[in-house]
Amino acid sequence: MIEITIPKLGLTMENAKVVEWKFISGDAVKKGDTVLIIETEKVSFEVPSPADGIIHPIVSEGSICAVEEIVGYVAQDREEYERLVTKYPTVDSSMDRDEGALRPPETPPSLLAGNDAPGDRSKLRIKASPLARAMAASHNLNLAAIEGSGPGGRIVRADILRAIEQQHAAFQRELPAPPGPLDLYDRQSIEKEIMESVPFRGIRKAISDNMYQSLSQSAQLTLHTEAGAGALIDLRERLSTSERKVSFNAILVKIAAMALRQHPRLNATLQGDAILVWKQIHIGIAMEAKDALIVPVTRNPDLKSIREIDEEITELVAKTRENRLSPDDMSNGTFTISNLGFADIDHFTPIIRPPESAILGVGRITRKPVVQGDQVVPEPRIGLSLTFDHRIIDGAPAARFLKTIREMIEEPVLMVC
Amino acid sequence: MKTSKKEKLSLLEKMLMVRAFEEKAGELFQQNLIPGFIHLSIGEEASSVGTCSVLRPDDYVASTHRGHGHLIAKGADPQLMFAELFGKATGYCKGKGGSMHIADFSLGILGANGVVGGGFPIIVGAGLSIKLRNTDQIGVVFFGDGAANRGTFHEAANMAAIWKLPVIFVCENNLYASTTPVAYSLAGGSVAARASAYGIPGHITDGNDILEVRKIVARAVKRAREGKGPSIVENRTYRYRGHFEGDPQKYRSKQEVESFRKKHDPIEKFKRILKKEGTLSDRRYEDMREKVALKIEEAVRSAQEAPLPDPEEALDDLFVNP
Amino acid sequence: MTHRIMSCSEALAEALLEEMERDDSVFIIGEDIRAHDGIFGQFRGLPKRFPARVIDTPISETCIVGAGLGAALTGMRPLVDMHFADFFTTAMDEIVNQTAKIRYMFGGQAKVPMVIWAPDGGGLRAGAHHSQSLESWFVHTPGLKVVVPSEPADVKGLMKSAIRDDDPVIFFQHKKLFAQTGHVPQEEYLIPIGKGEIKREGAHITLITYSRMTYLCLEAADLLAQEDIEAEVIDLRTLKPLDFDIISRSVKKTYNALVVHEACLTGGFGAEIAARIGEELFDYLDAPVARIGAKDVPVPFSPVMEDFVLPQVADIVESVRKILNRQ
Repeated sequence: MIEITIPKLGLTMENAKVVEWKFISGDAVKKGDTVLIIETEKVSFEVPSPADGIIHPIVSEGSICAVEEIVGYVAQDREEYERLVTKYPTVDSSMDRDEGALRPPETPPSLLAGNDAPGDRSKLRIKASPLARAMAASHNLNLAAIEGSGPGGRIVRADILRAIEQQHAAFQRELPAPPGPLDLYDRQSIEKEIMESVPFRGIRKAISDNMYQSLSQSAQLTLHTEAGAGALIDLRERLSTSERKVSFNAILVKIAAMALRQHPRLNATLQGDAILVWKQIHIGIAMEAKDALIVPVTRNPDLKSIREIDEEITELVAKTRENRLSPDDMSNGTFTISNLGFADIDHFTPIIRPPESAILGVGRITRKPVVQGDQVVPEPRIGLSLTFDHRIIDGAPAARFLKTIREMIEEPVLMVC
Repeated sequence: MKTSKKEKLSLLEKMLMVRAFEEKAGELFQQNLIPGFIHLSIGEEASSVGTCSVLRPDDYVASTHRGHGHLIAKGADPQLMFAELFGKATGYCKGKGGSMHIADFSLGILGANGVVGGGFPIIVGAGLSIKLRNTDQIGVVFFGDGAANRGTFHEAANMAAIWKLPVIFVCENNLYASTTPVAYSLAGGSVAARASAYGIPGHITDGNDILEVRKIVARAVKRAREGKGPSIVENRTYRYRGHFEGDPQKYRSKQEVESFRKKHDPIEKFKRILKKEGTLSDRRYEDMREKVALKIEEAVRSAQEAPLPDPEEALDDLFVNP
Repeated sequence: MTHRIMSCSEALAEALLEEMERDDSVFIIGEDIRAHDGIFGQFRGLPKRFPARVIDTPISETCIVGAGLGAALTGMRPLVDMHFADFFTTAMDEIVNQTAKIRYMFGGQAKVPMVIWAPDGGGLRAGAHHSQSLESWFVHTPGLKVVVPSEPADVKGLMKSAIRDDDPVIFFQHKKLFAQTGHVPQEEYLIPIGKGEIKREGAHITLITYSRMTYLCLEAADLLAQEDIEAEVIDLRTLKPLDFDIISRSVKKTYNALVVHEACLTGGFGAEIAARIGEELFDYLDAPVARIGAKDVPVPFSPVMEDFVLPQVADIVESVRKILNRQ
């Protein structure tokens, strides 16, 4: 028999959640078939079958398992499978080959698929045309909640279209009605009702755990400053061509990397009784993905040209947008940049991403009055916020790091000094 | 008809070639080097060689499942035939035909045929085509005594006769249709006799006497070319091997086969005549045999070395315009 | 393009006239084709125009087909008239074992430019030996092309393509459609073998059919339109090679398919189409692919029984309602 284990997907990964088994015990699987979906902080990952054979999951969905923990087996033959079943009892699974949408009788059917209570494996088959099944799957609809109008109650295309419409209408209804004239004595006006209950799990939960761990287990301090952005804008113009416009983020990553070279103690992790100063610099860039904060990482930007970094970022943005980032794209960051300039933020207090020790928040570039000699002149300025872990570095060296960054922004030539 | 000394020697050599080819094929088959099954015509060489010796290269021949002799006699290349028997890409039909389905349209050979009596309608079509195209070609269909009992024989003989098509029906009556003796299955006892029903000439020959076969078939060829219509020629002969290689031959005795071999062998018979009239010396004969044997060895060797077809070629050649 | 109104019979004769004028190697061979210009008058004018190339034969179907083959192998382009498609049985060896296989068996050495023309189909109260639809036998034989046109323009265009094709073509023409008229272009044209045509567009169900059933499907589509059901009618015109693209495009639009043929249901060509739709278009189906064919008995003589056995417009309408659950 061959073990199915939780793969280690990144340096920091310690455990993962078993989200969904794609097969049930006794199914034949082929090497490479996706047999299991697991979720770690910020990624979900498809675990392939390690071999051809008969699958037997031993860990139920929802369990948290450590890296390399055995969660199931692939038996070579029936005999081996029978032995496995005797040794490890079959676990519950929401997976059902026939429908994937079977409801326990006490649960009212929901239009949305995927709320199946685990454990109920009744063999009721829902009649639906192949087309209806394909459409239901792509709209995440629960066939059990749809009434079929085809021969013998078969669910057909028209029924799915109707269900989609109903769902749409239901959402419309759930929106609060436009407020009428406020009547303080109207009881309804002081009530609060749940409009939407968003499941707090998966990536949302992982981000929460991460942020909470960050703030509760380190001593964070944020410093704010501002830099003149004229040179930065010039540099960007010079590096850009008519075909390709280099992003500010690419230049800022390069600047941060060169500044970290001069201040390596910010490129570090506190682990037990040692501060591990990293040899490589890998800078993560916070990006907004569907409902989640994602931080893909640029590799060794200190060794790359700005144009190379820009290409790398462009690729990471595309992968984020298309939801095809791999764990490797997000692992092993040593420093992070978070840029909220797009939303006209000047300064903020970014939260460190453990196990890193610092994060640079970047604000918008905006023209401000600046005193030059005796004159007040307009100048583009950029806001900078550095959060660092006071446990491993003090305020003064951190401030010097931020100063280096400010100077490099104002005099990019300093990057190569 | 006159046959020169040179022609006679060439006829003998051709018969030796047919026999050497088939004996070799039988040997290779026993060694399991030829897939499937094969039908040999050893003992019937006078009929195939004698008949084809009076045909022109542009005349048509429709052959049978026992067709190796007809093909070689009409000029087919033994090497390409062996390659086909081995199922090689270089065979006559690129390995798609095998022993029973060899053709060479460039020599007018419209193909051996796996269906007994399958050649009759085809030769009628060729004859009709000759007539419509207004050429002086002719067509010959070889068939066995068994095929004479198929409906195709009657339909074809009738149609060829009413349209006076330039075709010849050459029966090789070897006394057995597979396991069934002629005495049991052939009403009237003669194929040639059926010709009278269609109002066309029918001849019976000693099918193991090549000069007689030549003489009679030449007469039919002349008639056909002159537009006087078809003939039936029944060459009475005998096959030494079973219907197919491996045939247990319970329908006849070993003595019967041996007796034919000793008394009526077409090659021995012709050799005796040639020796008697002084056309052939022992040395000349041995040289001839050696030459033929070498040619067959060479043909087998190069066919064996030839590549097998790519299995996916099985999907080619179905249509001209797929 | 200017058009004329013409019957299927006239369209066939015109196609042959044009091709025989164009190419001396084209000739027609069959039983009783000279005296009355073909037993259905389908070769009108041809025996007189080409006395040497319209050839009457004895009643010897085996040898007629085989002679066509022999002639095709030696430089001619015969059209063999089967008299009635039912008589295919008497020539099956020549078609299946010889004509279909010869080019292949001999490694592509030969070509067989022959058309076997076979009037088929029932509805003429002709009994079990003169009413069959046997196309699926030939579709099941590698090496043959099978053409089954319905309207006059298709008969003409496809016959011209069949004559010019270097491969054997079994050309079925439904006896009940000989008098069927339609528009035929004035100018010369060809219709390629292997291309179907949408004879009526619709959004709700695809009726896949050929030969006479095309007309029944069109009638059924008219009736269904009164119930707000828009049926798309595909006339396949050729069964082999099959134009599956046209089926695929249509089913992806309508999500429902019904195959209609006059041949008996079991083992009919509808089974092949249904299987391919199931294999290749599974996720586009809103209902199982349904089939309509004749009942599995020989075609009976008595008109009431024949009508019961052969598919009728009402059967098509009923089947469509059932598929769409519109009772």
